Amino acid sequence: MERIPILKLGDFLLVTIQVDMHDQLVMTLQDDLTERIVKTQALGVLMDISSLEIVDSFIGRMIGNIAAMARVLDAETVVVGMQPAVAITLVELGLSLPGVRTALNVDSGMKLLRTMLDQKEMANASSAR
Amino acid sequence: MSVPILTLPIKYEQDVVGARQRARQVADLLGFDQQDQTRIATAVSEIARNAFIYAKSGEVEFQLEGQLAPQVLLIHISDRGPGIATLAHILAEQYQSPTGMGLGIIGARRLMDQCDIQSTPGQGTSVWLKKVLPKRAPLVTAARLQQIVGELTSRAMQEPLAEIRQQNQELLQALAEVRERREELAQLNQELEDTNRGVVALYAELDEKADHLRRADEMKSRFLSNMSHEFRTPLSSILALSQLLMDRSDGDLTGEQEKQVRYIRKSAEGLLEMVNDLLDLAKIEAGKIEVRPIEFSPATLFSALRGMLRPLLISEAVNLVFEDPKDIPPLYSDEGKVSQILRNFISNALKFTERGEVRVKATLSPTGDAVIFAVSDTGVGITPEDQERIFEEFTQIEHPLQGRVKGTGLGLPLCRRLATLLGGRVDVASQLDVGSVFTATIPLEHRDPTEEFTATMAEWMLDPQRQPVLLVEDEPEIILLYEKYLRGSNFQLLSARNLREVRTLMAQVRPSAIVLDIMLRGEESWRLLTELKANETTRQIPILVATTVEDQRKGLALGADAYCIKPLTREAILAHLSQFTGLQAEPPATTTQLLVIDDEEATRYLITKLLSDAPGVVHEAENGEEGLRQAYALQPSVIFLDLNMPRMSGYEVLKKLKADPHTQAIPVVIVTSQLLDEAEQRLLAAQAHAIINKNNLSREVLKEVLILE
Repeated sequence: MERIPILKLGDFLLVTIQVDMHDQLVMTLQDDLTERIVKTQALGVLMDISSLEIVDSFIGRMIGNIAAMARVLDAETVVVGMQPAVAITLVELGLSLPGVRTALNVDSGMKLLRTMLDQKEMANASSAR
Repeated sequence: MSVPILTLPIKYEQDVVGARQRARQVADLLGFDQQDQTRIATAVSEIARNAFIYAKSGEVEFQLEGQLAPQVLLIHISDRGPGIATLAHILAEQYQSPTGMGLGIIGARRLMDQCDIQSTPGQGTSVWLKKVLPKRAPLVTAARLQQIVGELTSRAMQEPLAEIRQQNQELLQALAEVRERREELAQLNQELEDTNRGVVALYAELDEKADHLRRADEMKSRFLSNMSHEFRTPLSSILALSQLLMDRSDGDLTGEQEKQVRYIRKSAEGLLEMVNDLLDLAKIEAGKIEVRPIEFSPATLFSALRGMLRPLLISEAVNLVFEDPKDIPPLYSDEGKVSQILRNFISNALKFTERGEVRVKATLSPTGDAVIFAVSDTGVGITPEDQERIFEEFTQIEHPLQGRVKGTGLGLPLCRRLATLLGGRVDVASQLDVGSVFTATIPLEHRDPTEEFTATMAEWMLDPQRQPVLLVEDEPEIILLYEKYLRGSNFQLLSARNLREVRTLMAQVRPSAIVLDIMLRGEESWRLLTELKANETTRQIPILVATTVEDQRKGLALGADAYCIKPLTREAILAHLSQFTGLQAEPPATTTQLLVIDDEEATRYLITKLLSDAPGVVHEAENGEEGLRQAYALQPSVIFLDLNMPRMSGYEVLKKLKADPHTQAIPVVIVTSQLLDEAEQRLLAAQAHAIINKNNLSREVLKEVLILE
């Protein structure tokens, strides 16, 4: 079966989507990713969609789903590298991807994740006190 | 007017991806900027997905509209699905899709310049997406269009990776299917194996059941045989006692009493007949019935049957016809049994025929080695379902006529058994209300594997104390009679049934005398007489011709030493033999004391009664111990001994009598109702003087035994 590779990078999982995904492949990715989050106890997910030229309503919805599921599993999701044309099209389509954090590239995405985790830790610590 | 650019089918999920990629390429080649390319591709993706999800298949068509600016890209996506029922709702942006985000059509409308939808429920949906080519883009001329089409085709060729991926996908799918098939097969195989195991277990169970049945059948036969014997004993008492009454041996009977006694006797006879039928059946099942083959012709059998069965013809309306058998060689089989089969057939036929005729005939079988006896009637007939059942024991077919005729339901089963015993079979062909044909196929030559000539040889154990006398005789009754005559005398009887046996015997033994019958089965022994008298070594042997042929002169001329018409009396044969050999036949007997040992009072009484006019006193003992004591004290000249007694059986008593020097010389006559098998007979014959069947108890039989003494 065709699969999107999921790489472990420290506390994070890195998903680089390099092909135009058909619907079944997106569903498989969703299943694989949630499974890996649980298995590796990852704290964050970086989804690199810089190669994607088209994100239609279905793929957009799935990205939103993935982010929501990851959050339930105690992992933050950051989508990085969205092409400007894709972003415009998504907005024109009426898809705003609520709850999905985005960053321009992997680097800034990583930074964003770290900041988010630190904030979470601090919030936990203060509430614990 | 529009010009087609490219057409794509949508059959698989992968085709949705292909459609949007193609849309992007087409848009690129037509001069759209990157943003528009993404918009167009996304819109195509939405609509194509709808077509795939709702209609399972569809088609995407790219066209170019207009030859002058503004030119328009027209994308027509059509399917043959169920159509969109709630189109108005969707377009009013009120619809919530269960699959997408309700954005497919609306989104496409937003992304494109124009979006027309035509949907007929049940027939399919057509969507036209339109986008005006950008103003800055160069005009797409026919030549340019040609170029674009060519480029699109070559790009499709240039994507071997995608192609391979596609093929890979299909291969994987096929493999998955194959795996599934294999699993199904394995499961099926497993099921088959389970079934197979079940079948094997079932077979074992069947075998076991069959074994049980066989054993049960055997038990039944044994039970029948034993029970029938038990029945016969009291029955023979009733018969003999009622005969005594009828003989007026205890005073006169009034007319009414005689009538009653006669009815008693008649009923007892009827009952005995049924018991005997049962016994015959049981005996055959137990393999105890012997076949006594002799040579006979169907013609003589028929004439005997004709006389025998005439009394059964009660109705004027029924004719009994015996067809003269023509060109049928004589049979070598058991005439009695063949006659029994035919009697059964004929009496059955007469029972169930109210008018018409019963026809009996014999024909040679097509193979020429058997005779087919057929008894056809014009009676009630038998339904096909019943035709097999009538050969089962105790089966009687429901029929109004059945009520009038009596029977045990044993006749036909017995026939079948008898025919099988003779190596043949019985069959029936019948039509309801037209008549039936019963046939018995009997082989011309009866072959009994157990009856070997060498077997009879073994029986000739020569007694050195006695003189061997050769009896040449083919009738078993006569052989039996003469054997009885000579039992206990100084002569030992050796019998030969045909010339072949005579020669074999003469080669081994030199008899002191020969008793010769002239008419043997199929051969004459005149020549034997001449031969014996002509031969130097055998000339001295005296020959007594005992035959039915009255030709004394010829016999004596050929060298016979004496000539008698058979059957001879005991005195005559002993006198002749004494004269020939110069030996005393036996010392005269003196009878003073007689002893009857039997646990049944009726039998003791009967024997005593029957012996009342014999010389001597009859003593009774009601058990074995008592019998032994009396035998010792009285030293009777004859002991009548029952075999079946409680506590001490007749066998035991006999053994004790023979073991004691005081009683061992006393002749013992066994009186029993048991049918003895050969082993028992041989055992008893060695020690007992004679064996009498209780059924045959009569003054004459007892007298004969006493005279023999």
